[in-house]
Amino acid sequence: MALLRFGSEFPIPTLQRELERFFHNPAFTQGLSGHGTYPPLNVFENKEGVVIVAEVAGLDPSQIHIAGHGRTLNISGERKARETGNPVGFHRRERSFGAFSRSLQLADDYDMDRAEAKYQNGVLVVRVPKAESAKPRQITVQAG
Amino acid sequence: MTAQEMTAKEKQELSAAQEKTRPGRYYMPDVDIREFPDHLELWADMPGVSDKNVHITLENGVLSLEGRVDTDLYEGLSPLYTEYNVGNYFRQFSVHESVDCAGIKATMRNGELQLTLPKVEAAKPRKIEVQVS
Repeated sequence: MALLRFGSEFPIPTLQRELERFFHNPAFTQGLSGHGTYPPLNVFENKEGVVIVAEVAGLDPSQIHIAGHGRTLNISGERKARETGNPVGFHRRERSFGAFSRSLQLADDYDMDRAEAKYQNGVLVVRVPKAESAKPRQITVQAG
Repeated sequence: MTAQEMTAKEKQELSAAQEKTRPGRYYMPDVDIREFPDHLELWADMPGVSDKNVHITLENGVLSLEGRVDTDLYEGLSPLYTEYNVGNYFRQFSVHESVDCAGIKATMRNGELQLTLPKVEAAKPRKIEVQVS
């Protein structure tokens, strides 16, 4: 699978094309996956491990809880409205608020104990590194 | 009492009438517009957009909001499984003449854009004292 490399002036079309390939893949749309649950997740990998990304605007980092139980990673939290006061009326009301929780099963080769999470500009990024035992190793050939 | 559960909704792509000349697809941010006696508040969700990459313009009574997402995060990553697409955001609103355009203020925090649109003095509610004749 091609790694996303954005040398070009226009990285977004490349990224959109790569992400979209999965939306039409029947292996991921026949009920086995979590489509429709909040927050939608994108899962990537790189040399270090797996990277889980979610767009969750307007959260307070202290309201995001990430827990690992064995191979299961759980992301939960609550989005509370930041605005105060009682308006006299609403012209648009499209954003949603409330609690969310999602779990995700990872393969055995990841080390949940060393997982890291970062929340920036409303995007949550959880990185779970590969377990030492799953990393490729060089085997020295000994002269016989 | 347990909090209301959030549900995922599909991101809305920009319609053809508003299509942009920049490459890539644009999405419409989810917006709340709340009216108060002396001002309006506009909140827009643009996850992935930093305060430096949000552009707000007001021209001929049309307020345009554009947010460009940061793609650095995806450099060197290989997708395994995806549920949503990523793109820039764009949305326009006609601004009523009761809004004091010079007084509009914007802040961006955690992917959440907040605009405060004060009303011009003439549009603010006022109390009229009834005089005893």
